Amino acid sequence: MADMAEAKLTEHEAHYNDRVQFGFWIYLMTDLLMFTVLFAVYAVLRDNTLGGPGGDELFSQPLALTETLILLTSSFTAGLGMIAARRGLKNQVLVWFGITFMLGLAFLSFELKEFAEFIHEGHTMNTNAFLSSFFALVGTHGLHITSGLLWMAITLIFVMRRGLNGPLVRKLTLLSLFWHFLDIVWIFIFSVVYLMALA
Amino acid sequence: MSSNPKHHTEHGTTASYIVGFILSLLFTIIPYLLVTKHKVSGTSLLATVLGFALLQMIIQLVFFLHLGREKKPYWQSSFLVATVGLILVVVVGSLWIMHHLHYNMVPTEASKKLVNDEAIYQIGGEQTGACQTMGPNHQITIKDGQISPTHIAAQKCDTLSFVNQDDEAHHIMFGSFEEPQPYAGEDMLSLRKGRAKTITLSEQGTHTFHDHMHPETSGGFTVLP
Amino acid sequence: MKELILGKLSMHALPHEWFTIAGSVSFLLLALTIVVVLTWTKRWKWLWKEWLTSVDPKKIGIMYFIAGGFMLLRGGLDAIMLWLQQALSAGEAHGYLTADHFQQIFTAHGNIMVFFVAMALIFGLINYFVPLQIGARDLASPFLNTLGFWLYIGGVIMVNMFFFLGGEYAATGWLAIAPLSELQFSPGMGVDYWIWSLQIAGIGTTLGAINFIMTILKMRAPGMSLWRMPPFTWGSLCSMIMVVTVFPLLTATLFLLFFDRYFGTHFFTTMGGGDPMMYTNLIWMWGHPEVYILVLPAFGVFSEVVATFSRKRLASYTSNVLGMIGVATFSLSVWLHHFFTMGASADVNAFFGVMTMVIAIPTSVLVFSWIATMYKGRIQFKTPMLWFLGFIGIFAVGGMAGVVLAVPPADFQLHNSLFLVAHFHSNVIGGVLFGIFAALSYWFPKITGVRLNERIGRYAFVAWVVGFCLSFIPMYILGFMGATRRLDHYDSATGWQPLYVLMFIGGLVIAIGVALQIIQIIASFMQRRRLRDTTGDPWDGRSLEWATASPPQAYNFTTIPQVEQRDAFWHMKQQGLPKPAYENIIVPKNTGAGIYISAFAFLASFGFVWEITWLIVASIIGVLAVFVVRTFNDDVEYKLTAEQVRKLEAERKQKDEAEQQRKAPALGIDNSEDMGLRDFTKAAATFGLDVIRNKRWRTWQKQN
Repeated sequence: MADMAEAKLTEHEAHYNDRVQFGFWIYLMTDLLMFTVLFAVYAVLRDNTLGGPGGDELFSQPLALTETLILLTSSFTAGLGMIAARRGLKNQVLVWFGITFMLGLAFLSFELKEFAEFIHEGHTMNTNAFLSSFFALVGTHGLHITSGLLWMAITLIFVMRRGLNGPLVRKLTLLSLFWHFLDIVWIFIFSVVYLMALA
Repeated sequence: MSSNPKHHTEHGTTASYIVGFILSLLFTIIPYLLVTKHKVSGTSLLATVLGFALLQMIIQLVFFLHLGREKKPYWQSSFLVATVGLILVVVVGSLWIMHHLHYNMVPTEASKKLVNDEAIYQIGGEQTGACQTMGPNHQITIKDGQISPTHIAAQKCDTLSFVNQDDEAHHIMFGSFEEPQPYAGEDMLSLRKGRAKTITLSEQGTHTFHDHMHPETSGGFTVLP
Repeated sequence: MKELILGKLSMHALPHEWFTIAGSVSFLLLALTIVVVLTWTKRWKWLWKEWLTSVDPKKIGIMYFIAGGFMLLRGGLDAIMLWLQQALSAGEAHGYLTADHFQQIFTAHGNIMVFFVAMALIFGLINYFVPLQIGARDLASPFLNTLGFWLYIGGVIMVNMFFFLGGEYAATGWLAIAPLSELQFSPGMGVDYWIWSLQIAGIGTTLGAINFIMTILKMRAPGMSLWRMPPFTWGSLCSMIMVVTVFPLLTATLFLLFFDRYFGTHFFTTMGGGDPMMYTNLIWMWGHPEVYILVLPAFGVFSEVVATFSRKRLASYTSNVLGMIGVATFSLSVWLHHFFTMGASADVNAFFGVMTMVIAIPTSVLVFSWIATMYKGRIQFKTPMLWFLGFIGIFAVGGMAGVVLAVPPADFQLHNSLFLVAHFHSNVIGGVLFGIFAALSYWFPKITGVRLNERIGRYAFVAWVVGFCLSFIPMYILGFMGATRRLDHYDSATGWQPLYVLMFIGGLVIAIGVALQIIQIIASFMQRRRLRDTTGDPWDGRSLEWATASPPQAYNFTTIPQVEQRDAFWHMKQQGLPKPAYENIIVPKNTGAGIYISAFAFLASFGFVWEITWLIVASIIGVLAVFVVRTFNDDVEYKLTAEQVRKLEAERKQKDEAEQQRKAPALGIDNSEDMGLRDFTKAAATFGLDVIRNKRWRTWQKQN
């Protein structure tokens, strides 16, 4: 399998790509730590429902499973998109990342629906500490997904117009790192928030 | 060692993504079924869920993020390992510290602690009524909004467990709905579905209790000396 | 309608107290002066092109020094105000500050010193010297560098904004512990200013740290393994890794507090199920490693200074480096010692107490390594070495006080007393600040091409040390006598007043020391003919930064050096310096993107503070738009050919020689030795009279 994109890089560009990817990885580590604080806060505050319903009453595990499977699939399609990118196959890139985008959008809409339902029933982030922590943790993840989708859309537009050049392949690499990382964070949200609610 | 290695973007094959995807699917569905079918509960649920989450994380790190394929020096893996270590420090540290702080410093817990856990049965010559030894356990079950038995009789310093076998939570308070009174240092027992809470019957007399959300669900107990 | 446009801003937000008026007027006068000078000398374009949009880490470093130095004066003024109040306010007298104002001052003092002085000066040092020391031309990402700097400036503006609009800063202490910092107890906008100034600056710091780590790990010269790096680079690496580990914790915690105040959530509130103790836990998880982040680069500087001025290589490099790594690692396991008294009980307190004491071990390894370096060396008592000696005494005392505090039962008595305040100031001033002073005096010739006046430097050092002792020895004593921190008034029956007065006098002596440092710099430039550094290596240095001209060319080295050993430059000098060679160099272009993004980020934060929704939305879009334009712009570098480099080097040589020939100003001073204070006053007066008499300001304008 020919790595056409990389063969065309000069040594300067290759070193730059390597550095940037490493730097982005470190940024992902800092993001992980930010999420850790939100997880820790959730763990400490999740019983503070002030007598109101807790996760066992509010959460729908089937919905969470749906969201998890959607996001997992989107992570998979992003990976396939990256393989196409390294082969320089512009149309395949657009297809696979396009599917990833759609799946991401679906994930978001399920999540927003869940939030809207809670708020409609009077369970807002102001109700008690448990709900504050829930909305902060899951909402922050949702914000990251939204940013990722925005990034994806802009990058794909540039791919359509400029074709797959070295810098764009690098950007797609970083984007896919980000997307995989968000799926990993979601695994823990699924486990700690939704599944452990039934403990 | 020089710091100018050739760029080493690690990338995988379609096969690795497919394998990772299938394994992740498995490690998602298995814990889901175990939990929702109530095959595990309590601490074992926590351990199972966390265990599968960690496994799936490793799968995705290896198959989607290609962590094993970095060339020396393994900077990305090292940073990841360090971050995971720090995550443990933050989470475990916070949980340990906050648990201790809650135990010692939260007012409602404190009086209970005084009475029951530390068995302080005399302050300034006055008996607190705390028990020096605990008697046998009695159980009151709540199912379908019904209390059974509706009334029990027990000896002082026996223990009484409220078990919630309903699908929704119940919040047991003592005294009447209009004027709830704490009993033996307990203000309200919040019972999630399937959960139970135990109190020590350290105060004599006949007492009533009710579910504060559904006051018609009520009962009583008598504590003999 | 007005609410929609202006949020919570109103006429009342404009300055109307004596100190907000004074502050606003001072800043305006300063800004006016700068604008007038720039316009008169027609230097606006020069400023923009050469400095503000520069991505050269040396220039960014100097800008950090200037901003950090300015904030040092601002924070120092806070300290003098606090000391004066405490000296006056005993018994019937109540000083000149209200209690609330006093609380705002000590909050601002802490924030400014930690975030906007220490971090800035250290970032300046790392920016300037780490690339030079590792044989690189630039940082890994020039764009992130300028972005980080301007975000810091956004924080600087935000922390001073209350003078102009709002009139109040946070009155909660430098860490704004909940629930005092919650809306219930701090309803004004002071805490919001606090949150956003730290949030912007913190993000800038994190981005900068990622940049430094990328640079150190991926851009070292060929042959420079990690174990051949100079100690300052090691200290910086350890510190920056700590930054990326703990600053995210701060960012998250600040967001949670912001959510509580802005959206009414219940993370740390007293009601709604919130847990204020969790805030204390989280903020100190960041706060403790932060102080080690500040001190590790200082340790690195001292390792270099001690080796250079003992004319010996660093004794036991390995244990020195391992000591720094050890301090960094252990610092992540001690944070609870800041709240032993919060009630977590004996086993928790014992664990953290023990870990806190353990940190003294790697620190001692470092101290012994420095002492071993001095042993049998030929010590030169130049200014940097003096600062090291001051550090050793003061920091060691502070460290020992820290070990006392690490024992939980002792801490129960000493927590939040003046003993604690004296402890951490001993470490921060003696360690971090003296380290920065040592670094700046050590590297001053490299940055400016002029050595520092040693005589006035000695006076400044003595003033600092005497002032420090006058201020802080009474503070230790007061701590044992029961005086708590942050007291704006106390009973005269306590007998504390004389000691507080001593502290204030010490503060004045320190102020004299600062003045002497400024005079030192001016005097050095006045005698620059005599003090010029023509070789680039005034101290017979050991590391690669001395292998460049003073100041270095924009691209640092004409060719990247090949490293064979530790103390690379020392080794090169033994072997004979390589002949100059020239190669093509890729240079990053200047960019204003950092400024624009930071400006939008500042506006968004301002919008959050004053609840101006349209401003928030527009600014966030602005941030994203500039970011996208910048990152999708592939044309960010240009090439210097080898021929062009050779020409630049030749021009530089010519310029240096011409400078040497130029006539020195007739200041009537004896140039055979460093001038003293009397000569300085004479020279300054002569210069001033000359300017006025001959109207020299006209020639400055003509020259530009």
